[in-house]
Amino acid sequence: MAEVLKVDVRTSRGKHFARRMRKAGSIPGVLYGHGEKTVALTVPAAALEAALRHGSRVVELAGGVSQSALILDLQWNTWGTEVIHVDFARVSADEVITVTIPIELRGEAPGVKAGGVIEHLLHEVEVVCKATAVPEKLKANVNHLELGGVIRLGDLEVPGGGKCEGDLETIVVQCVEPTAMPEEEEEAAAAGEAEPEVIGGRKEEEGEEA
Amino acid sequence: MALMPKRVKHRKSQRGRIKGDATRGNHVVFGDFGLQSTQGGWVSAATIEAGRIAAQQYLRTEGRLYIRVFPHKSVTSIPLETRMGKGKGEPDFWAAVVRPGTVLYEIGGVTEEAAKICFARLAHKMPVRVRMIRRRPM
Repeated sequence: MAEVLKVDVRTSRGKHFARRMRKAGSIPGVLYGHGEKTVALTVPAAALEAALRHGSRVVELAGGVSQSALILDLQWNTWGTEVIHVDFARVSADEVITVTIPIELRGEAPGVKAGGVIEHLLHEVEVVCKATAVPEKLKANVNHLELGGVIRLGDLEVPGGGKCEGDLETIVVQCVEPTAMPEEEEEAAAAGEAEPEVIGGRKEEEGEEA
Repeated sequence: MALMPKRVKHRKSQRGRIKGDATRGNHVVFGDFGLQSTQGGWVSAATIEAGRIAAQQYLRTEGRLYIRVFPHKSVTSIPLETRMGKGKGEPDFWAAVVRPGTVLYEIGGVTEEAAKICFARLAHKMPVRVRMIRRRPM
């Protein structure tokens, strides 16, 4: 069951209205897709943040617009603490959509006990699935990951019958030997007073020689 | 080896002004946790390296540290007991220009508690106020 977001249709435009709206606890948004007219909306900030916290990607819009919609894009403030704008894309229940889903590691890898380090290389993946069955996250189980072992995109299970897009040979997580820290003495020796090469700095050198 | 560009168009740069907040490089991309600057300033190559060593000594072989800033700017200085004038000084050190919101370091593959301790050690080295952040949901 998708979360319900109560939205209002917005007629005001511009940064001044948007700022006032944010101060009042609403976030400006937009709804588009399916060849229909684009609608400007306002969404309650608390409700949207709750939906994001719960990992919802497809929401049910109610109020000014009654429609299923995918949270397609978010704009954040500089500090990554508040959403300042949201894009919704219209979706129907039986529609197959492409969404970006986070990948989460689960378990403890035996390779770590053997002295290895887990490297999580791919944090998000595009998944093609039905709009009604969008997974919150993909779980990569590392319980069997030995030193030198890898988990590839093709190894991940997508709940709800979806499938991952992209090269299935892409490494999601690997257990590798730790890279040795350079010795401090070596570092000190290497830290000379060298200067970077100047592009087109020939004239200066010639001048110095003359 | 100290961080500095390999090739530059000009050896010396003007001082410049740091205006506004970071609009890019302001969220966690590679790791799980990040150290975000809340002030603007210059972070020298030596400071970046000191931070890396402080973090690496705590992490040892666990996890992975990502450095998200690079010292592209050369800072010049005039030698002591020199009369003013006679042109601009020689490059003294290299620095990264940091706007408020810039993510300086990231850590992946460790628990939140470990990342918190590591960043606390690292924050002592920084010339700007910093805070720890997590990955954004989208």
